[in-house]
Amino acid sequence: MKTTSNNRPTSLLLILLCLLILSLSLSSVLADSHFEGFDAEDDVVEDESLDLDSLRKLTDLPLTQSDSSPPITKTTHLTSSDPQSDSDPKPNPTPENPKLSSPTTSFDYWDEDEFEGVPVLHPPPDTQETTENAAPNQNLDPKTTKESKTVPVPKKPSSYLVEIVSVTFLIMFLINYFTGKRENENLALAWAAKFATKDSIFEKNFSLLGVGEGDDSPLLLKEGQNVFKFYASGRRYCSGLLATMELKSRHDLISRLYNLVVPCKDEITFEVYMNEDAMDHVVFAMAKKKAAKGMQKELQDLNRFAGLVAAPTGGRKWVADELGVISESKEVAGDMITDTVLEQVFGEKAFEKFGRGFISMHLSDQHPGIQKKVLIFKFALPDANNMTDMTRLVALVPYYIDLIGRYKLSPQARSKTDAARQKAAQEAYKELQNARQEALQRKKAERKKMMEEAEAKLSAESIRKREAKERTRQMKKAMPRVKMTRGN
Amino acid sequence: MSSHNNSSSVNDPRQPSSAKPFLPPAVSPQDLPVDYSGFIAVVFGIAGVMFRYKLCSWLAIICCAQSLANMRNVETDLKQISMAMM
Repeated sequence: MKTTSNNRPTSLLLILLCLLILSLSLSSVLADSHFEGFDAEDDVVEDESLDLDSLRKLTDLPLTQSDSSPPITKTTHLTSSDPQSDSDPKPNPTPENPKLSSPTTSFDYWDEDEFEGVPVLHPPPDTQETTENAAPNQNLDPKTTKESKTVPVPKKPSSYLVEIVSVTFLIMFLINYFTGKRENENLALAWAAKFATKDSIFEKNFSLLGVGEGDDSPLLLKEGQNVFKFYASGRRYCSGLLATMELKSRHDLISRLYNLVVPCKDEITFEVYMNEDAMDHVVFAMAKKKAAKGMQKELQDLNRFAGLVAAPTGGRKWVADELGVISESKEVAGDMITDTVLEQVFGEKAFEKFGRGFISMHLSDQHPGIQKKVLIFKFALPDANNMTDMTRLVALVPYYIDLIGRYKLSPQARSKTDAARQKAAQEAYKELQNARQEALQRKKAERKKMMEEAEAKLSAESIRKREAKERTRQMKKAMPRVKMTRGN
Repeated sequence: MSSHNNSSSVNDPRQPSSAKPFLPPAVSPQDLPVDYSGFIAVVFGIAGVMFRYKLCSWLAIICCAQSLANMRNVETDLKQISMAMM
């Protein structure tokens, strides 16, 4: 009872890689903060210019008025000068006051622009000044003061928002990866413990259990984080059984979130490979009605040999109303749906209780692929704690192996199915021949093309040769003249 | 119906002589399901570098993590992911 250990190194690798990602992301945070600085500075400048504009609009001052003022204003600001303190107590600021104060702001700004090399001294007075100016201007424009105070400060945390969100998401992803992985493993192990350990259904029916060789072979093969495989062999009528558990991708946070919107189930698929001599002509499938229609259309063998079978009239018991039956003939359908099956799982009453996890079953001797005679059962897995719920469903598998192994069609039905299979075989043969002929024709066409191209090349070369010859001829004609001229 | 009936009435269904060991079917890399998240990661990574838009880079890293979580066999996928990490 253990999962195969061939994925241990991968998990280790995963951890290492995740750490790498994290470290990379941290370093990129640092790198980003560098760019951040640039962004923030730009924003500040923009804000200032905005402030300036608003101030200008408010005041509409001629710039010439305070040519000599900048030095004065600086001193005044640093020492909290008299004119300002004078203006503060005044309850109603006269129009002169803003005129006096606003050009100082504009000029400070201009100064800053002109002397870009020495911005260190300016910013503190700048802020002071704006706050001081704000006092007299409060009733005029409180917005500008607010902006100048508030905007540059919260800009920085908000710019890290992306980093914070994505790092927390990554951490959540990592945690979810390990917890979800464990959940899936627990579910698969619960299934194996219930059905593949000693004195369980598969132990009693198959002589070889597990994916490896020897007695101590692991039962389950893990493929990816959400696919588990179980193999059993050594039973009459069949060469092997492969159960594939496809669980929800609980380890993946993104698809987990997606599954909140579009729910899906944990599924288990049993594929039984029947011996060549152990299966008569049977094409049969059963699923919930909608799914049955879909299967009939999509699956090649069902589409070709079988059709939907209506419930027989008369006193015979039949499967629950939700189920649709697809079969080659009514005889096969009647023989496949035995009284025991109806009683145990598929009858009206039993299906409500025990058939909840049933998705579909598909018995076919014309399965497309290498293995032709295959039985496929698909069930939904219950929780790890309620594995007993699906005992009857799992018991269907060996039951049908025996039923099919012993089943013989009646001669009448057999002649019909023989005819159908011969027809199908003939058509397949024809298709194969057609495909071969097409391939041959394609080859011929390609060869022709090649020949033509080669000829074209040859002709081009011959033309070139001809041209070269003509040139040489002309040269020869020209040569003596040249000599003549040289000689002269 | 279940196995109890079979084993009691018709002997033991087991046939150790016919047991065949499990042969994992060889899967060619082309048959593997498409790794969408890895592809998206590459796209976002390139976009993030081209436009210097950090959100793209972060999305690329997240997609990378997803494709890491979903990968089935290490050899083929690690190449792609290392590409995406670049």
